[in-house]
Amino acid sequence: MAKRPGRPLTMAPLVEPGAPSDFDLMKGLQAGDADALAQLYDRYNGILKALILRVIHNEAEADDLLQEIFMEIWNQAKNFSEQKGKPLGWMVTLARRRAIDGLRKKQAYVRAEERLQNETEQQPEAWVHNATEEEIVLSDTRVLIRKVISSLPPAQQQAIDLAFFRGMSQREIAAKTNTPLGTVKTRLELGLKKLYDGLKDLKDEL
Amino acid sequence: MNFEQFQNQSRLYVIGALEPEEVEEFEKARKKFGKKAEDFITKCYALHEAFALSLRPAKSSDAIKERLMAMVKAKKQP
Repeated sequence: MAKRPGRPLTMAPLVEPGAPSDFDLMKGLQAGDADALAQLYDRYNGILKALILRVIHNEAEADDLLQEIFMEIWNQAKNFSEQKGKPLGWMVTLARRRAIDGLRKKQAYVRAEERLQNETEQQPEAWVHNATEEEIVLSDTRVLIRKVISSLPPAQQQAIDLAFFRGMSQREIAAKTNTPLGTVKTRLELGLKKLYDGLKDLKDEL
Repeated sequence: MNFEQFQNQSRLYVIGALEPEEVEEFEKARKKFGKKAEDFITKCYALHEAFALSLRPAKSSDAIKERLMAMVKAKKQP
């Protein structure tokens, strides 16, 4: 992957010079600073909303969940520790868990399944499709991450997509894709290893 | 389980894709490898960040932020 000279890229979106870092904002949250939450919201609401939408496929429910998730970020900030990784990773983990819980609790699962099925029929590999959609203007980081993802064989992408964005177990993926359980496990292991290694290279390069 | 196998299992673990019968063995290995295991699991969570960043950000209504901040302020008030 080519490194663009003079562009300070990171895995996380760029922050304006002089603006507080994500770690600074998390410290603000821990100290009860509502303005820090407002800044984190401005910085990451789009990413977290996209993640929620990818899980539940419903705009109104996604908005409600987004609000609940930022409230949970506020309430749980005291549990965040720098030793456990970056603030964005922590927020994404929290948002994903809530979105998958929300999907199941609200019994929207069947409806979302039907919508997903329809989308899958129209676009067999939605993740791949997103990766090549020319009309979308993407940030450098997103383009590079998608390059890593789209380098995986479609079957590995699909297995990871179902596990991460749908919260499916290996058995559920096997049943949904009519694939032997052992094959699903192999696809997940190989795909995740390639992604992990690819992202590590990306970080090293950046 | 050797450390390479543990690494493979860790990547499944962080996305919640380990089957229940695999979790027990994973937890045993996690204890066996100690800090090295915890450090690796922490690194694996970067996958979450990457998956989220692979998506095109979605627009949300301004009303959500207003409601959120009103809730936070209400909670802070004694």
